[in-house]
Amino acid sequence: MRDFLREYSWAVVVSVLLHGLLVGGMVLAALISARRSPPSLQPLPIDAMVVDSKVVNAAQAAQAARERAEQEAARARAEAEANAKAAADQAKAAADAKAIEEAKTTEETKAAEAAKAAEAAKAADAAKAAEAAKTANAAKAVDAAKVAAAEQQRLADAHAAAAAKAGAQKAALARRAAEADLAEAKRAADANAAAAKAADAKAAAEAKRAAEAKQIAEAKHAAEERARQEREAELRKQLADEEHRAAVESGPLRDSYIARLRNRIQTAWIKPPSATVGLDCLVEVTQIPGGEVTGARVTQCNGDAAARQSIENAVYRASPLPDPPDPALFERNFVFRFKPNE
Amino acid sequence: MNRRFSCLVATGLLVFCARARAELVVEITKGQADAIPIAIVPFSSPEAAAASFDVAQLVGEDLARSGRFKTTDRKDMIEQPHTGASISFDDWRRLNNDYMVVGQVQALGPDRYNITFEIYNVLTRQRLLGYQFSANRPGLRLASHQVADMVFEKILGIRGAFATHIAYISVLGSLPHRNYRLIVADADGENPHVVMQSNEPLMSPAWSPDGQSLAYVSFENRLPSVYVQFLKTGERQRVSARAGVNQAPAWSPDGKKLALTLSTRDGNLDIYVLDMATQALTRITDDPGIDTEPQWSKDGQSLYFTSDRAGGPQIYRVGIQSGDKPRRLTFQGSYNARPRLSPDESHLAFVTQEDGGYRIASMDLRGHGDVQVLTKGHFDVSPSYAPNGAEIIYASRDRGRGVLALVSADGRVQERLVSSEGELQEPVWAPF
Repeated sequence: MRDFLREYSWAVVVSVLLHGLLVGGMVLAALISARRSPPSLQPLPIDAMVVDSKVVNAAQAAQAARERAEQEAARARAEAEANAKAAADQAKAAADAKAIEEAKTTEETKAAEAAKAAEAAKAADAAKAAEAAKTANAAKAVDAAKVAAAEQQRLADAHAAAAAKAGAQKAALARRAAEADLAEAKRAADANAAAAKAADAKAAAEAKRAAEAKQIAEAKHAAEERARQEREAELRKQLADEEHRAAVESGPLRDSYIARLRNRIQTAWIKPPSATVGLDCLVEVTQIPGGEVTGARVTQCNGDAAARQSIENAVYRASPLPDPPDPALFERNFVFRFKPNE
Repeated sequence: MNRRFSCLVATGLLVFCARARAELVVEITKGQADAIPIAIVPFSSPEAAAASFDVAQLVGEDLARSGRFKTTDRKDMIEQPHTGASISFDDWRRLNNDYMVVGQVQALGPDRYNITFEIYNVLTRQRLLGYQFSANRPGLRLASHQVADMVFEKILGIRGAFATHIAYISVLGSLPHRNYRLIVADADGENPHVVMQSNEPLMSPAWSPDGQSLAYVSFENRLPSVYVQFLKTGERQRVSARAGVNQAPAWSPDGKKLALTLSTRDGNLDIYVLDMATQALTRITDDPGIDTEPQWSKDGQSLYFTSDRAGGPQIYRVGIQSGDKPRRLTFQGSYNARPRLSPDESHLAFVTQEDGGYRIASMDLRGHGDVQVLTKGHFDVSPSYAPNGAEIIYASRDRGRGVLALVSADGRVQERLVSSEGELQEPVWAPF
């Protein structure tokens, strides 16, 4: 199992995430439909978050769902007892206590656990919400058994809270609600069992799928590896070229190329009278392989029109420019700076 | 493996970044003083009358004589376009032309011609200038010089001086039957006109700042006197005929005063300034040595002159306000004389003695007074700057005969002027 997980860690994570997304989506759908029927249900959005995380947990451990449900039930029971006691103290109503006693099934105790949270919920509203959630849950029980269970908890929550708050006056109401809860909880438990079963089937299917995915992934991986090696080889070559360029450009060959360019231009430049010390002009030159000058444009220049013209002419007169001693040194564009020192 | 791979990527990026930063910039610190190749294509002139004058020929001669242009031989021209639209730039470029001038001469009437021309940069194919103007038959020569001026200015960025004039002294015959002439000609030496002639020496012509008059020294009464002659009418006026020497007139920049060399009774020569309107005379120098050949600074506040107060002739500068002490400018060599300022006052041209000969030199007044000898002759004297400062005209000797010559202000190009008859002396270039 561990080997399997290690081997297909990606596949497992992806499938878990996908399932989580799926379940989450369904929960959302359920919530939306639940919201539609009752006019106002304030606690719902908050609870939805709780449910969501639980659903994710459930999906992750689909096989252990049932056991965990039982464990949780046991735990919840203990908690519920404590809670119920507290509630009973507060409510000072035997009816209350009774109701809590009655709600000693898994989901019921869970409901009691969250009871404190839903103080504001009105008993009637809660009941209605329970009804709505129940229908939604029932409809989607097979796929989202956990959701239903959670819904149940919430409903029970609301009930318990309502009961606790309502006190003795609303004992009867609470009782009715608790009865409804009981039924709900039972149904939810059934749903849980179904969900667990479904989860088993799903797990098997997933295992199969995972096996297939493994094959595909292996093939894909091999292809990717090949592509990566190719890319690497190509990059190595580029890098080698660049290194060659860099070596050439910083070395004596570059200096010699610059000297040749300089000589050619200086021979071609007929200085006008205004081109004396202090003149400083840049000319952008474009050449094509072979050295033919295809463009010469004076950009910055403190000289007069005659100086600018003489500079452009010098570049054109020098065309074709000398070949670089190493082809790597060829530059399509470069700049001559005319700065006479005499 | 993965780590190595990412290292590779990272290194690749670094290299790429380094490369992107290192843009290739090549610094150019020197150029050539070569002549610029230019083609002056013969102007079309359908009419026979116009054909008798070759505008393009004269333009080409002007430009070539300046030393700054090298004109393409006509027999090397594959075709002769007359408008920019019909230029095949690639062909002209293959013939190594940087620039070209195309144009037409059309007869508008019996003695009226229309000249149209365009200047092109062959390398960039840009049209630099298009121009047209009209002239009568005698005016075609001046018109041609004006075309050359525009080409010169468009390409070199300095005003051309081809359409200006020069004055000089021509001496004919030999003693005792000598004939002295003061001549005004075109800057190329052509079209000479005798302004004044005498059997006694004529010397030291000097242009007024407006180019309308000439001052000169005449010995017509066997004694030297300074005259000012208005060229248009020939009318002249004797402005100084004082006892002793009256020589070397120089116009002040405002044209109202003349600096002169006069002598005292004991024969000592000094510099004076004569106000021509009031005839008031102001003594500028007072030294037992010879002070002569004055030249005004542009602001009219000081004079450059030659003095032998330190032994041999050297060049000094003095302010015209009283009491200013002359300051010596030349220290190299034993003979430096006849100072002439360039129009922008950046240089001072003068005659210096070198290797036993007289040569034209120029001193850079902006820096440390560096002196450059410009000519190579044995008797090169009387320098005078062209009004654009690009050239200096001077008197030289060729096989024993006095001739006129030109040297570019940087000494790079020397040209002989076509000389008319006689012994030519003391050329002076007129202002624009």
